[in-house]
Amino acid sequence: MFDFFKQSNRLLGMNARNLEYIRPHNRKRGMEMADSKLLCKRVLKKNSLAAPALIAKIKNREELEAFDWNTLPDSFALKPNRGFGGEGILVVYARKKGRLDAWVKADGAIITVEDLHAHISNIFDGSFSLANSPDIAFFEERLKLLKLFKPYSFKGIPDIRVIVFNRVPVMAMLRLPTRASDGKANLQQGAIGVGIDLATGTTTTAIIGKGHIIEYIPGTRLVLSGIKIPYWKEILRMSVEAQTISGLGFLGADISIDRDRGPVILELNARPGLSIQLANLAGLKDRLKRVSGLKIKTTERGMRVGMNLFGGEIEEEIEELSGKRVIGSTEKIKLIGKDGKEIEVEAKIDTGADSTSIDTELAKELGFGDVLKFFETIPKPLSTNREELRVLSDEYDAKYRSAHSDLQAITFTYSANGLSMRPKIEISLLIDSLTIPARVTVVDRASLEYPVIIGRKNLQKFLVDVSK
Amino acid sequence: MQYHPLINFIVASGVPLQTVALLLMLPIVVTLVAFFRQVIGIKAFGIYTPSIITFALLAFDPNGIKYGIAIFIAVIVVGTLSRLLMKKFRLLYLPRVAITVSIVSLAILFILVIGGMTQRTGLAAVSIFPLLIMITQAEKYIATQIEKGSRVALILALETLIISVVGYFLISWHALTTLILQYPWIILFTFVINFSLGKWTGLRVTEYLRFRKIIRHLQ
Repeated sequence: MFDFFKQSNRLLGMNARNLEYIRPHNRKRGMEMADSKLLCKRVLKKNSLAAPALIAKIKNREELEAFDWNTLPDSFALKPNRGFGGEGILVVYARKKGRLDAWVKADGAIITVEDLHAHISNIFDGSFSLANSPDIAFFEERLKLLKLFKPYSFKGIPDIRVIVFNRVPVMAMLRLPTRASDGKANLQQGAIGVGIDLATGTTTTAIIGKGHIIEYIPGTRLVLSGIKIPYWKEILRMSVEAQTISGLGFLGADISIDRDRGPVILELNARPGLSIQLANLAGLKDRLKRVSGLKIKTTERGMRVGMNLFGGEIEEEIEELSGKRVIGSTEKIKLIGKDGKEIEVEAKIDTGADSTSIDTELAKELGFGDVLKFFETIPKPLSTNREELRVLSDEYDAKYRSAHSDLQAITFTYSANGLSMRPKIEISLLIDSLTIPARVTVVDRASLEYPVIIGRKNLQKFLVDVSK
Repeated sequence: MQYHPLINFIVASGVPLQTVALLLMLPIVVTLVAFFRQVIGIKAFGIYTPSIITFALLAFDPNGIKYGIAIFIAVIVVGTLSRLLMKKFRLLYLPRVAITVSIVSLAILFILVIGGMTQRTGLAAVSIFPLLIMITQAEKYIATQIEKGSRVALILALETLIISVVGYFLISWHALTTLILQYPWIILFTFVINFSLGKWTGLRVTEYLRFRKIIRHLQ
C-alpha cells in the first residue's frame, strides 16, 4: 500500500499539471496561439514549420452568404477555429459523382452545400467552442493517410502527440482512430493510444479509450508494439521548435504524417491531457522533474536529451526477454587486474574473435609486468606446421605453466607474420555493470585503434546492437 | 439557544435569521464543491450549479431529498429526450435551447399536477424559485451535451447531484447550523482550507482510480 502511494508520486495529476506546469510556464500569448488554429497556422508558417494548408476562412454571415462553394476542392476538412477535442470537424474525401454541390464523407454519407452552410452556422454560434463563444470557420487541405498506418486506423488519420517541456521532448504517443471514436484520434472518445520510445520512435505499450491495456487492435491480430514511426527525428525536431516559438513552456504538439508532405503540425495544445501516461505506462511528473532547470540552448540538444533520457525502453524489454544485456559495437569497459587495479578503456566488441585480447602496456599497468618479463625468457619454438601446433601447445603448457603463478596458458597462432606465441593471463572485465572473469591474451596493440578487443568467449551474456 | 453577539446584532438590525444562516453556510458549500473537485476529482458543472442546487434542495424541504432529486432527474431525462427530438430539425443554438427549456417546464408542470392528483401535496405546493433553478439547469446540461457529448454531460449531471445531496445534508445538519450561529468566526477556516486546496498538487482520488492499472507497471 505504501509502495502504491510512493509509485503514484511519479504520475502527473490534474492539480499538479495546472499549478506547477501550465500556470507558471504557459503565457497568455502562447495560450492564444494554442486556442486559435488559424493564428497557430500563421505563426508556424512564418517559422517555416509545416502545417495543413489553408483553403479558405469564413468569418461572418455575410461572408458565408457570399461564399462561392465552387471554389472548394474535391476533398477538404472544415474546422471551427476554436474547437477542441476534435469536435465540429467535418472531413470530405471526394465529390459526389456528377454533382458540383455535394461531397462524400468517409462513411459514405453525402454532404451538400446546405449541410456545410448549417455546419458553419453552428460554428458561428459557438456550438463547438469552449463556453459557446462565437467562432469562425475555415477550410483546410485534407491530409492523406500514410500507407503504413492504413491497417491500424479506422476512417480518420492517426496523429502523434509529443509533450515538450523546457525544449526537451518528454513523452510521446501515437493515437489511432477506431470505430468507437468515430474516426477521431481522441482517447476520451475511444481511440487507441500507443506509447512511443523516444529514442527510436518505435511503439511500446498501448491502451484503448480510458485506460484498458491492449496488445492488439481489437478484433484483429495486428500487434501495436514495434511500429516504427517514420520521420521520427523530424517529428521531435518540429515539436521542440514549435514549443520554442509558441512561448508555451509546457506543450503538447499534435503532428500528423501526410502521405506526400511528411510530418505536419495539426495543432498545439496548451493543456495536454494526462492519458499519455497510461499509453506509455510511465509517469510524466518524474520525467518533467528530470528536465526542469536544464539549460537547453539548441533544438538538437533538447532532442538529444529527450532521446537519451526517455528512450531505451525497448532495449530493456529485450534484455528482460532474453536475460541478456544489449551493448554496442564499442563499449566503455573496466579491466580489473591484480590487487584490484582498475583501468577504464574503450573496447571493441568483436564477435569475429574467439577470445579477448588486451594490449601489453595495459597488462603491465594491471600488475602483470612480472609475468610478461618471465614470458620474454621462454624460447620461441622453431617454425612448425599447423598439425604440430597442438602438440607444441601441450608441451609448452606442461613445461611453463607452473613456472609462474600468473601465467594461465601459452597460445600459438599463425598469422601473416608466421608463427607467434602469446601468454594468457586472468583478469576481470566489467562490461555494462556485469563482472566477467576472463582469460585474456596479451598482445602488442599499440598501433591498433582499440587497446582491447572482446571476443565471443566473454560475450555470452550480451547481445550486440551494431547501431549503438 | 445562545447565539453569538454578532449574530444577535445582525438579527436585531432586521436581517432574518434564516438569511444569516444561509449566507454563512454558503462558504461551507462552495468549499465542499472545491474539495470534491481538487481532492476527490468529482467535477460537476462548475461551482455555481452544485451550490445553487444544494440550496434548491433545501427549499424543497420538508421532502427536499425525495422531490428535489425526482425533479432534477426529470429535468435531465426530459432535457435529453427533447434534445434528441430537436436534433433532426437542425435549429440554431438559442432557439433550440429555448424550445428545450419550454418542454422541460411543461413537463415539470405536468409532474406537479400528477403530484397534486395523487395527494402528494408536498410536491404540488413546492415554491416556484427552486423549480425555476432546476428547470434552467437544462441549459447547462444541453450546452455540456453539445460541447462534450451526452456521456460526459450525464456524468457531470450525476456528479452535480451527488455534491448537491452531500451539501444538502451538510447544511441541513442542525448541529452545524447551531455551531456556526454560536461561533460564526469558524467560517474563516474555509479560507484556510481553500488556500491549501488551491496549492494542492497531489493526485485526486479519481486519478488514483484512473491510473491504478499502470501504477504497478511503473518502475
